[in-house]
Amino acid sequence: MANKAKTAGKKQEKDKAIDEKTKNVLDIRDMQLYFQTGKGIVQAVDKVSFALERGKSMVIVGESGCGKTSLGRAILRLLPENVYKYEGSCLLNGVDIMEYKNEKFRKEIRWKRAALVPQSSMNSLNPVLKVSDQVAEPILIHDLAETKEEARDKAAEAFKKVGVPVDFLDRYPFELSGGMRQRVAIATSLVTDPDFIILDEPTSALDMLTQANIMNVLTRLKEEIDISFILITHDVSTSSEIADMAAIMYAGQIVEFTDAYTFFGTPLHPYSERLMASVPTLEADDEELGFIPGQPPSLINPPEGCRFAERCEEEMELCSEEPPTFEMDDGRTVKCWLYREGGERDGNNK
Amino acid sequence: MATTNNNLLLQTNDLKTWFEIKKWGFLHVGHVRAVDGINITLDRGESVSLVGESGCGKSSLAKTIMGIHQPTEGELIFEGNNIAAQDEESMRQYKSEIGFVQQDPYGALPPFMSIQRILEEPMIVNGIKDKNKRLKRIHEVMQELKMTPVEDFLKKYPHMLSGGQQQRIVIARSLVLNPKLIMADEPVSMLDASVRVEILELIKKIQSERELAVIYITHDLSTVRYFSERIWVMYGGKIVEQSPVRDLLKEPAHPYTRALLEAISEPDADNIHSFKKVPPGEPPSLLNPPRGCRFHPRCEHKIEGLCDQEIPPDFEVGNERITACWLFKDEEEVGDVAI
Repeated sequence: MANKAKTAGKKQEKDKAIDEKTKNVLDIRDMQLYFQTGKGIVQAVDKVSFALERGKSMVIVGESGCGKTSLGRAILRLLPENVYKYEGSCLLNGVDIMEYKNEKFRKEIRWKRAALVPQSSMNSLNPVLKVSDQVAEPILIHDLAETKEEARDKAAEAFKKVGVPVDFLDRYPFELSGGMRQRVAIATSLVTDPDFIILDEPTSALDMLTQANIMNVLTRLKEEIDISFILITHDVSTSSEIADMAAIMYAGQIVEFTDAYTFFGTPLHPYSERLMASVPTLEADDEELGFIPGQPPSLINPPEGCRFAERCEEEMELCSEEPPTFEMDDGRTVKCWLYREGGERDGNNK
Repeated sequence: MATTNNNLLLQTNDLKTWFEIKKWGFLHVGHVRAVDGINITLDRGESVSLVGESGCGKSSLAKTIMGIHQPTEGELIFEGNNIAAQDEESMRQYKSEIGFVQQDPYGALPPFMSIQRILEEPMIVNGIKDKNKRLKRIHEVMQELKMTPVEDFLKKYPHMLSGGQQQRIVIARSLVLNPKLIMADEPVSMLDASVRVEILELIKKIQSERELAVIYITHDLSTVRYFSERIWVMYGGKIVEQSPVRDLLKEPAHPYTRALLEAISEPDADNIHSFKKVPPGEPPSLLNPPRGCRFHPRCEHKIEGLCDQEIPPDFEVGNERITACWLFKDEEEVGDVAI
């Protein structure tokens, strides 16, 4: 009896050790993804590093062409054929999945541990299959259910989680509204019970009320089940609904990675500042909206130094060299020379 | 119903655009009541936003005003003439008075035409034969839009321009015929946040300089305040609320408008702890709209026996504010003519 208690205690200790080691569900270091094109090499994702704690959610914000979708696809290794360089490390629960062979990755990681809801996936449901078959498909492919009936039950469960009535199981996609189809797409990613889900622009094609509905579903899921969301979007406002962490991406690099709470109040990087100033709000009175003149640099031959320098109002000589990522006292990181002194911004430049 | 307002540019009286649905090409099934009894007025040089969700009929209303769809019933009065009853030639003249800024600049610019050709096209169609005159007009417009040096742009093709520049070309094209009204259908929804404001400011600047009337169609209530003085909220083929923007944002009257305002996300870290309040259900089918008020199946303030039976008329709820909702039945009823 005493022996048993002892082993149980040991097991707990061991669990604790694992927990400590895998505090982060996802830990990405120096991820690089380059594409070969006719015009040259596109540096879509360039030395991106971030870590996401278990149960937390994050948002990757950036303009179109900044590489945010490529980053999402790089994590799940859903790559096109013209990849030139795909490097870095990606720790999932403490294990480097970049080392996995493609077949092993497909069998053990993709969809089982990490799922993706691609952009406009609500419009890519197969029109001639019932939605239940499409939601159940990942279960059957990954042998998570023995019979079709069991898979269907699991699909029904996922439907309940996202708030689609169960009698919609036998419907075809065209019989559902846009919001319902988006929920079905999210259900498809939930059925295998992954550790995290990447959602690429989940609400950008939807109406305001439907958008709010989908964000409510995600917020509720986050509370009910232990899951992390990685939201890829250009819409700062809606992302504030579920994000604990925020990563700001500009021209293939993460220029700022902070907790969302401080980010929405005081963004650090000049780019994030200007981006936040250009978000229209309902309450603010009459103040003029800002915009960022110019356009993001081409990722084929990005500028040598800071990639935002030419659009930045606070450009200085140092900016012709690439800034490293500085860590603030409170753990926020920012890739800008203004913060080379630590927590406070360089006084001369403000 | 003549009006004494000299400033009036556009007025609709009970405007309806219905589309017939047929089965197998000949059996009548019913009508999609996309635009169902709209009374609006628009002054010269005024900027109004038309807000509604997809499928509420806002694009159909815009296309009816632009003369692309023939109205089924009602009057569309532009500068005192009823457009609905006009012949083809005056229709063409009318269409040239309205500029259209499309939603998607990538799709709106033909890829095989140079920018010069794209900008010339509306003038060629409208019979401006003198090439020098056309070029002069193009130069004027391009300079107004700050797309200089003009010559460099004219030789380019759409794919050589960024999204923001393409949208400027679309705006330039809508302006070359010196229209009196610009119809801007979600002009910035395809653009990035940082460019968005730039384009909105540009349209605003042109609007005030040229004293253009602008109808800004959008589903994004948060940009409306920066852009328009007045707002029309559309739901299920009808205008449910008309109001100055500021008053509406402060104190929305119609339950649908309230729901819309509550659903908007602000960039605020506290959001993470809260849920949005969203009315249940979905917008009605316009083929078979619900009886009475079209919002009543989703409305939390529904009055049994009234809202589900009778269509609410327009009630005056404040200075220049009207709403079609039975909650305000004690207020003064507005006649057939909108304010």
